[in-house]
Amino acid sequence: MPWLEFLDVLISGLTNGAVYALMAVGLTLIYGVSKAFNFAYGSFYSLGGYLAWIILVPLGLWGGYATVFVLAVPLLLGIGFLTEKAVVAPLRARADWEIKVMMLTLGLALCLDNLYQVVFGPRMKSLPAIVEGSLELGGVIVSNQNLGIFFLSIGGMLSFRWLLNHSRVGMAVRAVAQNPQGARIVGIPEKTIFAATFAISTAMVGAGGILLTQKYFVSPTGGWDILVKSWVITAFGGMGSIQGALYAAFILGLMEAFVGYWFGMSWVLFAMFGLLLGTLVVRPQGLMGKWG
Amino acid sequence: MLKVHELDAYYGQFHVLKRVSLSVARGEVVVLLGPNGHGKSTLLKAVCGLMDKVCGRIEYQGEQITGQNARNLVNRGITYIAETRELFPLMTVLENLKLGAYSQSARPHEKENLEAVLALFPRLAERRRQIAATLSGGEARMLAIARGLMSNADFLCIDEPSLGLQPNLRQEVFRIIDAIHRQGKSILLVEQNMPQVSALAQRIYLLEEGCIRFAGDARAAAENPHLREIFLGM
Repeated sequence: MPWLEFLDVLISGLTNGAVYALMAVGLTLIYGVSKAFNFAYGSFYSLGGYLAWIILVPLGLWGGYATVFVLAVPLLLGIGFLTEKAVVAPLRARADWEIKVMMLTLGLALCLDNLYQVVFGPRMKSLPAIVEGSLELGGVIVSNQNLGIFFLSIGGMLSFRWLLNHSRVGMAVRAVAQNPQGARIVGIPEKTIFAATFAISTAMVGAGGILLTQKYFVSPTGGWDILVKSWVITAFGGMGSIQGALYAAFILGLMEAFVGYWFGMSWVLFAMFGLLLGTLVVRPQGLMGKWG
Repeated sequence: MLKVHELDAYYGQFHVLKRVSLSVARGEVVVLLGPNGHGKSTLLKAVCGLMDKVCGRIEYQGEQITGQNARNLVNRGITYIAETRELFPLMTVLENLKLGAYSQSARPHEKENLEAVLALFPRLAERRRQIAATLSGGEARMLAIARGLMSNADFLCIDEPSLGLQPNLRQEVFRIIDAIHRQGKSILLVEQNMPQVSALAQRIYLLEEGCIRFAGDARAAAENPHLREIFLGM
């Protein structure tokens, strides 16, 4: 392939990889902290997309995407927190609660997707680009949209990292993930931390939705693809390993771009699962996961 | 300071503590002796709000605290110090200590407590940037105690602090507990080392099969034939 096209595909892969990283890290965070599986994760991706659409298209609020982030992120945090308290928390005390959480979040996903269809209709919504125009660097043309998405995702990851490493709530989240009993001993309110974790991950996937749906449209069932990809990345990177998810997201983002370019988009999922299966055969714990 | 009255505790169906009563006065070191698996740790955990199924009555400073969760009790000044298992293994020594001061009542004193704790444990001060999982057994034990002190508690429940340590480190642990006691803390201590215990403790309880089998001051304990037989083999 000509190297200009190669660069084009590379940039597209890195952009998607950055957004996938943001979303997969959110998913692996819930698993790492509370061992819960969230099957409604993709529906929160669509929710992010729809919130952006409401603010930008019918309401047309001043400020564009800046306003979207200022309004949608706190809303997503709140929705995530309440969802955990209403759906996941009541199950925790029961036997086999992990399976029950899977079933209930799966049900929640179906409810949300159908709700989107009733409220917004089955047709796809398109969103304006976050920044228009393009940049030419030594003959290579890069769309500003891709650059904007890439840098905002990286910014999102960095703020998440800061939150986790330096804020009080982040320290408490890591404490619960590493040793729940130890966290109880020092007086960390474990249940609030579970809900806060869920809230943070909802905001991350919602932000992913805001960033990515402008390239691929918003639709009521558009989140399933994201759920599958986030799961593949989480399993590929190693369940509960944030660093593993980060590497896996970029590897899969790039693979998606190149497989799509060479063989067509319909081969992307096939290649993804092929890579996942191949990895799990050699390393059942994923790239950086710890088994058990 | 602490009064436990006819306490029962269960792990699932298993009845661990049977009508246990004990008390700790302000500024006292009380030691709980007993064979392994007879409920000593369970009693400490029950006092610190870490057991789910508890009935009976626990009073702290005249107030009923039975059934309160660990978080409330840490806020009131009761802290559980486990052996090393309950540390945060992937965090640095400093992060572990800071989390020790997580509770509302400890937060305003975080700075002064950190200074005091690092002065008490110079080894930890040297290793403050090191990941907890890479500490030696003795250092991890020190970190567990130091983290407990960060909670600003007046009442410490310390679970087998010398377990598995070599003799010189064991001496060090007892020296530190003595120092903590001199600062005016009240301590309920689970221990197996009879000679050190009788030097440190004001009073001793023996817990066997979930029941208190002996209660008395340290000197009486040292002369009690049953205790001597169990712990000194005489």
